[in-house]
Amino acid sequence: MSDALLSAPVAIAADVVAVTLLAVAAAKVKKNVKENLVPLMGVMGAFIFAAQMVNFAIPGTGSSGHIVGGVLLAALLGPWAGFLTLASVLIIQCLIFADGGLMALGCNIINMGAMTALVAYPLVFRPLLGKGAAGWKIMAVSIAACVIGLELGACMVTLETVSSGITALPAGKFLALMSGIHLAIGIGEGVATGVVLIFIRKYRPELFGAETAVCGSGAGIKKAVIGFAIAAAVIAGGLAFLASSNPDGLEWSIEKITGTTDPEPQHVSAFSTGAGKIQETTSIMPDYDNTFAGVAGALMVVVLVWGVSAMLVKRKRPATRTIHNN
Amino acid sequence: MGKLEKALSEIQDMQRGGGEQSLSPLCLLLVTVVYLVAMLSVPVDSLTMLIWFAVFPIIGAGLSGLDFSGIFLKSLIALPFAALIGLFNPIFDTAPGIHAGGIEVSHGWVTFFSICLRALLSVQALLILTSSCGFIGMCRSMRRAGVPEFLTTQLQMVYRYLTVLMQESLDMRRAREARGYGKKHLSLKMWGAFVGQLFLRTLNRADNIHRAMLARGFTGQIPHYEPRRQSWRLRDTAILIISAGLFAIFRFVDLSALLGFK
Repeated sequence: MSDALLSAPVAIAADVVAVTLLAVAAAKVKKNVKENLVPLMGVMGAFIFAAQMVNFAIPGTGSSGHIVGGVLLAALLGPWAGFLTLASVLIIQCLIFADGGLMALGCNIINMGAMTALVAYPLVFRPLLGKGAAGWKIMAVSIAACVIGLELGACMVTLETVSSGITALPAGKFLALMSGIHLAIGIGEGVATGVVLIFIRKYRPELFGAETAVCGSGAGIKKAVIGFAIAAAVIAGGLAFLASSNPDGLEWSIEKITGTTDPEPQHVSAFSTGAGKIQETTSIMPDYDNTFAGVAGALMVVVLVWGVSAMLVKRKRPATRTIHNN
Repeated sequence: MGKLEKALSEIQDMQRGGGEQSLSPLCLLLVTVVYLVAMLSVPVDSLTMLIWFAVFPIIGAGLSGLDFSGIFLKSLIALPFAALIGLFNPIFDTAPGIHAGGIEVSHGWVTFFSICLRALLSVQALLILTSSCGFIGMCRSMRRAGVPEFLTTQLQMVYRYLTVLMQESLDMRRAREARGYGKKHLSLKMWGAFVGQLFLRTLNRADNIHRAMLARGFTGQIPHYEPRRQSWRLRDTAILIISAGLFAIFRFVDLSALLGFK
């Protein structure tokens, strides 16, 4: 998900849900964990990051893919710690590589983190796998959990985008497009997750399925999932209302306060009269269509500011930037 | 440059960032959030209004001593995804948009350019924030903003060991490439063994780190150090109010008409 496809109310609502989930996860993990979990989660996050950078060949296509790691982290650390670790990877990806954008971070944490670690893992992976599972079963369950987790993520992306009202793509077609793409990605992710889990079971069998020993039992996950579903439904209902009756939340707020969505000043002041006179005398492109002239004029100002700024920064730069290690 | 090498270089750039910043990182974070909320609240077909928001990254980069051209080029990374989704707008929305002379630009194309601009501006604001504060500064500001300490500790742990594990992964990949007879990508089975090995090395490293931390008196929390210049001051309050006022003007005042572009 990208900032560009989100409206402010949807982004803020998703950020609130994500922050709440993170706070709950942090409290759960802090209460249940063994003392070595802090460094373990830290290096596991770094491990997923490094693993994402190594691509594998997709047979028959000539292209390559990489793992995302939601179900894998949940299988190794437990749902809450896995979610927290994946969220930290997503936050770092956002802040260092500008993936998605700051306001879309909440959506990305819900779509990729919560849907895999907090929904697909406890409701699909763990109940289906059981104890002492064979290699083929690990693979099949991994694929099922990853496909369901990613498809739920795709549904969330569609819901968030359509609620934002930014794209003109109809909801049904958008969902079909996202579901198709994420079905393929989910199968790839599932196979990759299964391969790694089978490797770990072979060489470090004590680690496989030991997530409850490392990170607590994950008790309360079903309650949390139900709570999350209710919160999502309430927010989705609110968003649907905002999207249908008022395309923009700020305008809705202004309308509530002023009785109109028109941002033009309602009272003619000395300032606005003076500004009107300045406008008449300085009008640069009076014959052009209003909107086109507005776009062109605003662009001209931006380029001018960039030019002036570039000249000033060039002179200033050697004195302002110092090397500093964190 | 490969994906791993590029990522390592980006992280090392980030570690060198966060230099002498006179403002509190929390102030910079709040200004960025207010900017993003105001910018994303602009209706998607108000391209003129959106263009005014492009002034902030330019001025923000200038005030932070950053080269805006570099920020602009880096922000292009956000364009492909936004453009891909945005391209459906001209297909599905063919209503008239802008008239310029005899040429008519459809509403779908206006919203397409708007989506692309939103993507660029949001990433530019984020890049300026991260380049100005540095990652550790951002973690401090998040903690001051009320983010649970367990999460900020986790973020710092992942960040500090990112370069170590990526270097480990890079070494393993180079060793494989040296014996790979020119094969570019790993097969799935080999990839599984590769990532599995990386995981086992990760566990050993986590164990070593934990012992080293215990030996240095680790009690579950990373000790804080808050540089004096990064604490909240009156100047931060003033900057936050001025910025919010500026964004409100961009959002609610028709600056193009006010300046005579009509």
